[in-house]
Amino acid sequence: MLLLAVPLLTGTGLIVVGRRFSRYAAAWVALTAAALTAGAAGVVAWQRPTVDAAWLPEVGVRLRLGVDGISIPLVLLTAVIGVLVTALATGYVPGGGSPGTYAGCLLLVEGGALATFVAGDALLFFVAFELVLVPMWVLITRFGDPHDARARADAGQRFVLYTGAGSTLMLAGILLLVTWAGTSDLSALVAAGAGLPVGRQLTVALLLTVGLAVKVPVWPLHTWLPSAHTAAPTGGSVLLAAILLKMGTYGLIRLPFSVVPEGFVRISPWLAIAGGLGILWGSLVCLVERDLKRLIAYSSVAHMGFVIIAMASNTEAGLQAALIGNLAHGVISALLFVVVGGLKERWGSVDLDRSWPALREVAPHRGFALILGLAAALGLPGLAGFWGEFLAVLAAWHPADPMRIVVFRTVAVLAAVGGVLAAGYCLRVARLLWAGDAPTETSAAADAKGGARLDAAAGAGLDSETAAPLDSEAGEGLDSETVAPLDVETRGAERFVAGVLALLIITLGVAPWLVLDITHPAVLALLGGLP
Amino acid sequence: MITLNWWALAPALIPAAGLILVLVLDALLPGRRRLPLAVGVLALLGAAASAVPGAIGSADTPARTLCLPASSGTGATGGECFWQAGPLSSTLQLSLLLATLAALLMMRDTRGPAAPEATSRGSETAIDVTLLLGSAAGGVAVAAAHDLGTWLVALELATLPVIALVARRGTRRAGHGSLSLLVTSLLSFALLVVGVALWLVATGDPTWSGAAVATAWADPARRAVLLVAVLALLAGIGFKLSAVPFHAWTPPAFAGAPLPVTALLAAASKIAAVAALVAMLTPFVGLAASGTHPHVLAFALGTLAVASMLVGTVVALRAGDIVRLLAWSTIAQGGWVLLPLIGLSTAGLRACAGYVMTYAAASLLAFAALSAVRRTASGEPGAVRELAAYRGLARSDPHVGGPLLLAMVTFAGLPPGILGLATKVVALASVIGAGLWPLAVVAVIAVVLGIAAYLRVVAVLLADPEPARAGRVVLAGGGTLWVLAAGTALLVVAGFVPQVLYGLT
Repeated sequence: MLLLAVPLLTGTGLIVVGRRFSRYAAAWVALTAAALTAGAAGVVAWQRPTVDAAWLPEVGVRLRLGVDGISIPLVLLTAVIGVLVTALATGYVPGGGSPGTYAGCLLLVEGGALATFVAGDALLFFVAFELVLVPMWVLITRFGDPHDARARADAGQRFVLYTGAGSTLMLAGILLLVTWAGTSDLSALVAAGAGLPVGRQLTVALLLTVGLAVKVPVWPLHTWLPSAHTAAPTGGSVLLAAILLKMGTYGLIRLPFSVVPEGFVRISPWLAIAGGLGILWGSLVCLVERDLKRLIAYSSVAHMGFVIIAMASNTEAGLQAALIGNLAHGVISALLFVVVGGLKERWGSVDLDRSWPALREVAPHRGFALILGLAAALGLPGLAGFWGEFLAVLAAWHPADPMRIVVFRTVAVLAAVGGVLAAGYCLRVARLLWAGDAPTETSAAADAKGGARLDAAAGAGLDSETAAPLDSEAGEGLDSETVAPLDVETRGAERFVAGVLALLIITLGVAPWLVLDITHPAVLALLGGLP
Repeated sequence: MITLNWWALAPALIPAAGLILVLVLDALLPGRRRLPLAVGVLALLGAAASAVPGAIGSADTPARTLCLPASSGTGATGGECFWQAGPLSSTLQLSLLLATLAALLMMRDTRGPAAPEATSRGSETAIDVTLLLGSAAGGVAVAAAHDLGTWLVALELATLPVIALVARRGTRRAGHGSLSLLVTSLLSFALLVVGVALWLVATGDPTWSGAAVATAWADPARRAVLLVAVLALLAGIGFKLSAVPFHAWTPPAFAGAPLPVTALLAAASKIAAVAALVAMLTPFVGLAASGTHPHVLAFALGTLAVASMLVGTVVALRAGDIVRLLAWSTIAQGGWVLLPLIGLSTAGLRACAGYVMTYAAASLLAFAALSAVRRTASGEPGAVRELAAYRGLARSDPHVGGPLLLAMVTFAGLPPGILGLATKVVALASVIGAGLWPLAVVAVIAVVLGIAAYLRVVAVLLADPEPARAGRVVLAGGGTLWVLAAGTALLVVAGFVPQVLYGLT
């Protein structure tokens, strides 16, 4: 399928021959490839073609590709995000290697994610799942945060080892399942898996869920995510949050949820509890976290908690909530990482304990994007985040399994409390960055000076050209408390990317049925397999 | 009267004939360097070509020759053939011959004018080629030998020339390496002889016959003898496969030998060992299929596999010398080769063969890349041993660093080394298919440790090349370039269509 061939081949090509490419050439080649892929994704979503060819007969694997209601939104999301991250690369490529390698790795991650979403065979799914590991690792360790090589290497290694362990556990589960069920075709597995004895279903479900939970990540297994996000370059963070995490939830729906339903039902209360704890844990950390990228990473843990409890409720509403929550989180976190990553690239740090100039004044566009992202993250109605969280809590309140209603209602309450905490941390970030309330007194003097100049500059309606000398003058201050450059407004590609994402957030928030209608038949079909 | 089919024997006969031709030519025209090389390359290519029909043939009609007439009536041996090459054996032969060819090509470069060693005289080359061809003939014969005697002699023929090759460099390190290899081989030979003798006592049959094993297994007294025989054989082959706890010779021998010989040890010798193991286990596969599972044998195989995977990977994680790192990685990969055999099924044998071939290709690639990196333009190939000296190789010299990187991810089983991933999946599938999923959990740990160990090298290869660039010169000779190109192409193409690999076996 063209959908996969374009990003994978171009990505490989860019890595192999791309070292001689200039930044622009590499980024534009990548952007063209991503745009072609997006076109192909549109066609695929519309026509729903399938591919079926022999691949690894030794274990009965066929190269079976196809899409359904569950994967189409994710395929489209991946394609759009792919275009956006490569568009970002036309404006800024982090150092640490050739631009060709950077763009190539972005495309490889995109291609691997697409392959995961269209794989129609359990083992092929696993192979595609593994495909993204090395390019993502390269993105983190080579192109990540230039300030701290050790942290970068540590984050990259943690990412690879955690997800490697998770996916190998998943492989053990898949192989066990395939051996017992006698097929690895995902559509045939739905019938074959449901026919297995409960004990076997439970074993398979446990292996698969634990393996995939690392990727999602579900609460106790989430520790790789914050460091990976902190160290990764903006494009990498966006891919990680918007696409890689979705591969985990998609896998959970595709494998344990639909294939071994009875086993999954038995572990779903535990999963729901882990999800609820993840929401609380993530939100509480967010209230005190200093590094903004880490903060957003923890908020991802919280949001994925909502998706997990929605899924664990085993209801139609829950599954719909999981799917739209998944999608919404992809768009919201992408926007937040674009905004914050851009800030970090310019300021060198996004430590919330230092005082930063108020974004609403120095960079109104970026500030607006930040506020929109935060508002969506706290689940404001009318924005994308609302539907996932609202439906998730609703679904947990009425779980499919009436025996465990106490557990699920407790979790629902936990989740609701987490939602309130989310409002707390989102407003905290907004207060510190957007409104510019200085949290400490240490830099009050510098602030007063900078602020006065700033007010003058803003009042006169002057642009960055006049603000620039101010930077250099103020920059001669203390080493640890250097005043940040004020020119942090989104430009060119970055503004375009943020705009598209903001538009998507609003569209999803106002018209969630666009997605829900696509997923609904597939959800009903899936739940038909449940007892 | 014994039947004789020359064509079936050709994969072993052609290298043997080439060996004699090299010796004769060297006696008639002494001092010629290119001649023995050309004969060696042609002999290996010809032998490989003659193994192709067997490899793509059907499993039901293996190439059989040296058969006793069915009516000779000497008990169980009636109608037995001493040479049986099914698709599995032929594929192993084919890959072994190609691996030897790769080692020969690398040897051409290290002995060539690129390395102004005083020893690069013509007859030296002739000796090297002779030894290589001898080892290849032995390895090919092991894969097809159906009787104990041929199997034993052929296995030694595959091993002994390699010891000489290791020792020939004459340095202190080479002496140390070859000594440990020699002692190990003697020990292994002793074990194998004891095993073969006990096997003969237990089954009363001088061939790897499934029927004889089944009868012996049914009798408790003979079963005990047979078990001891199998364990002794397993230990003997364990040395050749460098499975823990029989692995101690591997790091010194790898580090002491010239790199082409190390590549030979890592690739061709391992294939020969696997071929020997497959021959020995095939009767038990029939036994297991008929419902009596030899648990002791499976347990012994499992212990070797698990210990090798874990010990090899953990030590590789800390190694600072890249050749020693690869030696420990070889030990770990030996465990992976053994893993699918535990189920004692035909699928397991094929998974094992597929794994060892992938491993061999990746090893050749890695050693070919190492042999291209030198201290100075005139320096000794492969002398750059410390991992730090390879900083940024994939960026400064992608034609050498890229294949090395591909080899590492193939070992680790991560895409883009898709073939490594696919063979690991198949290996695990046969273990889980046999219901041994606790072993699969151990394998998960080994995979994660392996990822850490190999990505450590990948990280070095991708780092900023500047600090280490001054300390090395990358100089790949023609032969090495061929190995690098062919190996990379093989791994990439077979990664997209892994059925080719398994379709052959």
